[in-house]
Amino acid sequence: MKRILNHIALGLLMITAASCTKTDDYKGPDQTLQGTISDVATGQNVQGEVGDGANSNRIKLLEISYSANPTPQYLGVMQDGTYNNTKIFAATYKIDAEGPFVPQVQTTPVVDQSQTLEVKGGNTTVNFKVEPLLRVDWVGTPVLNANGTITVQVKMSRGTTNALFQNNITDIALFVNTSQYVGNNINDASRTARTSYTGNAANAVLGTTLTLTTVGGALPASRDYYVRVGARTDYGLKQYNYTGVLKVVVP
Amino acid sequence: MRTKIFVLLLALSAITPACKKNLDVPPLNIIADKDVFSNVAGITAYMARIYSELPMEDFKYQATSGFKTFFYGSAYANAGEAISRDVANTTETFNYWADAYILIRDCNYFMETLPQYASNYSAAQVNNWQGEARFIRAFTYFALVKRYGGVPLVDKVLTKPGESIDDIVAEIASFKIPRASEQAIYDFIASDLDFAFTNLPETNSKGRASKYAAAALKSRAMLFAGCIAKYNNINLTSGGTQVCGISSAKANDYFKAAYDAATLLNGKYSLYKASFSATDKAAQATNYANLFLDAASAENIFIRQYHVPDAAHWYDANQIPHQMWGNGYSAETNPTLDFVEMFEGMPKNVDGTFQTLDAAGHYLLYDNAGDPFANVEPRLKGMVLFPGDVFKNQIIDIRRGIYTGSSAGGINKLVPANSTALYPTANLLVSVNDVPSPVDVGGGKKMNPAGSSGFFTNISGVAGCISGFTIRKYLDPNKAPADLATNKSDQSWIEFRYAEVLLNRAEAAMELFNGGQGSAYQTQSLADVNTIRDRAGATPATLATLNINAVRTERRKELAFENKAWFDLRRWRIADTEMNNRIYRILNGFYSTTAAKYFYDDRWDERASRYTFDPRWYYEQIPAAVITKSPNVVQNPGY
Repeated sequence: MKRILNHIALGLLMITAASCTKTDDYKGPDQTLQGTISDVATGQNVQGEVGDGANSNRIKLLEISYSANPTPQYLGVMQDGTYNNTKIFAATYKIDAEGPFVPQVQTTPVVDQSQTLEVKGGNTTVNFKVEPLLRVDWVGTPVLNANGTITVQVKMSRGTTNALFQNNITDIALFVNTSQYVGNNINDASRTARTSYTGNAANAVLGTTLTLTTVGGALPASRDYYVRVGARTDYGLKQYNYTGVLKVVVP
Repeated sequence: MRTKIFVLLLALSAITPACKKNLDVPPLNIIADKDVFSNVAGITAYMARIYSELPMEDFKYQATSGFKTFFYGSAYANAGEAISRDVANTTETFNYWADAYILIRDCNYFMETLPQYASNYSAAQVNNWQGEARFIRAFTYFALVKRYGGVPLVDKVLTKPGESIDDIVAEIASFKIPRASEQAIYDFIASDLDFAFTNLPETNSKGRASKYAAAALKSRAMLFAGCIAKYNNINLTSGGTQVCGISSAKANDYFKAAYDAATLLNGKYSLYKASFSATDKAAQATNYANLFLDAASAENIFIRQYHVPDAAHWYDANQIPHQMWGNGYSAETNPTLDFVEMFEGMPKNVDGTFQTLDAAGHYLLYDNAGDPFANVEPRLKGMVLFPGDVFKNQIIDIRRGIYTGSSAGGINKLVPANSTALYPTANLLVSVNDVPSPVDVGGGKKMNPAGSSGFFTNISGVAGCISGFTIRKYLDPNKAPADLATNKSDQSWIEFRYAEVLLNRAEAAMELFNGGQGSAYQTQSLADVNTIRDRAGATPATLATLNINAVRTERRKELAFENKAWFDLRRWRIADTEMNNRIYRILNGFYSTTAAKYFYDDRWDERASRYTFDPRWYYEQIPAAVITKSPNVVQNPGY
């Protein structure tokens, strides 16, 4: 028995000795990277999808101090157009933003608006000025109708004069949810009013005031609803541009 | 002197054993190239294995589980053809990649090794096998490119013979091949298939590729390439290479290539018409159903064979209507009303939807459950089982419930149109499960509320029908009840049949006509569509009604439930508009006790299961493990 114990002890000793030759003292990710994505013309934040970077707008980081050809890391951008990540490694990054706006990096013709900088010293702010594919703006405030539905008004316009990115509008929707997180990925599908268009039929709404009403009859009473209008064009991944989120109290 | 001789002898005797050559023998438990490549049996075994690895969307494919898998559920419930209790809105998630490159390596290895043993065979044999290897490699690249766009192009064995692990590690950087352009992959597929067409024989043994299988694959692949060039909006360029997207200037070239490849099959195959009769709709329906089961069909170009018990699949067990089931699975594929409405021969509203109400808004009443479907297009009868149809000598008994309310003055719609509302419980008898509970419906008749095949309201608990229809295509009508179980089906999967080739040409021709290439293409498109419609028992199309949408609809009808729709909707780039928060429609049958008649209610899927196609899915996510191994492989947009 004692012999076996000795063997086990010896084995453990060997494993321990072999694994302790070098301490991992690399500094953890302790940097904060934050900022906004805003409309270059209006200065307003570009509203986006809810998500962790898979569907939402996102910040792309290329850690070029690590490799000339690094695998990209992505940071999700909050639906209000701001981002904030407190666990970034200090390093030099090439950074750009992705979402429903004119891409910051294009190949034909070559455009590169990405920003290369060293993230260090604790807190780094990087802001992006972009041209959204569509601008969707509230007109007035949402109205709670007598029949229990909600009606809103919006006005849409192109955010860019570049004809390459002025594709046809394919969808306009009034998204409704019972939490402040609302958009194409998360909404009450039975209340959300969606309209799809083919060809250039929807382009006529640009510049006009558009009225949208929730579907599915009266909204259940005694709770708060959050509404938001989104629209998308037939460009690339067909992400939505949004208004901000407004709260409607249904008494 | 003597001593010197002794020393010499001693030295020689010490050296001699080292020279014995027969000690350096290859291990006997490992099969070497010469064992495989120097005889026909070895080559057949090699071929059998690589054929079995072909990435074919067949009976054993499902979007979430992958190729060569066993599953309960349906592969057809992802593109609007059907809904299934066990399948929800999804894209492919099984990360097809590593298996593809293993198979490509097997093909490359075969192509490079066979010439060393070519003296053992006739030139015809060698050409045949080289052609098959090219066909399989092209098939595999096509499976990759239609999922991911451009992928790394490997056209030779990357390692050298006899390399050690250390040698391979030393040159690992050279294996990290970046993605080729999407166009380069399609062009590579085309050149492999041209080689295969030249070298393969007119006919080959069942399950192996003939030259016409290569031509059929080329017509399919080039049609995909043309559509990407014409319709794709998602572009990605990496290092000067366009890995997603093809220049629109190439569209007509690819459509022309698809057209020409399809034309190579002219006169070589024909549509299956063994039990067809121009005047008998029932015979036309039976003929269409038999097409998928008759091993002697002149329409089959390339098939994959199955065999019980060693190479079986689960198709019959999954698809059999509940009333005939073998106590395992059943009714997994439930065609949607949206699909059924694409066909002709049923009561319809002016907008083309199925008519259930009269002008006054009351339900249309029928004496028999099958009356509204009596005259539907024979092809549809051959692929879908309707209430009242006879299959395996049983009447298909699908019903939602029994309505006991008054029918005086007509029955009003139970729930509003386009609503997810539940049916009112008053005046409605339903079945929770499949335990027979017949109720007296008057006139001395007894009836189970849900029939014997469903709808059962405990949807997830009982394998019943949930759309009002089940599927007939590929279903074996001669299976004993005991064989309606897993691992008991072995009908062959028809990967290429002549109808698809005709439809490939019809579509390519219509695209060429629309692309300004002349009206001869329009005429050919119409001729091909009408060849299909004639066999289907449908009224002929005319030049006035034929446009690209009509050609696509014809394809969706003819090739439904053959795992084509998902990739077709993707290449047409309409999947995201077709599936934009969509709830599919169903058709529920009821029996009214007071009227003693049947009526049907069209409504949204009662589970309110919504389908959305994320536009990112047009290019699937490259598996993370691939990028970890080779950072030179760039990810597709949005992932």
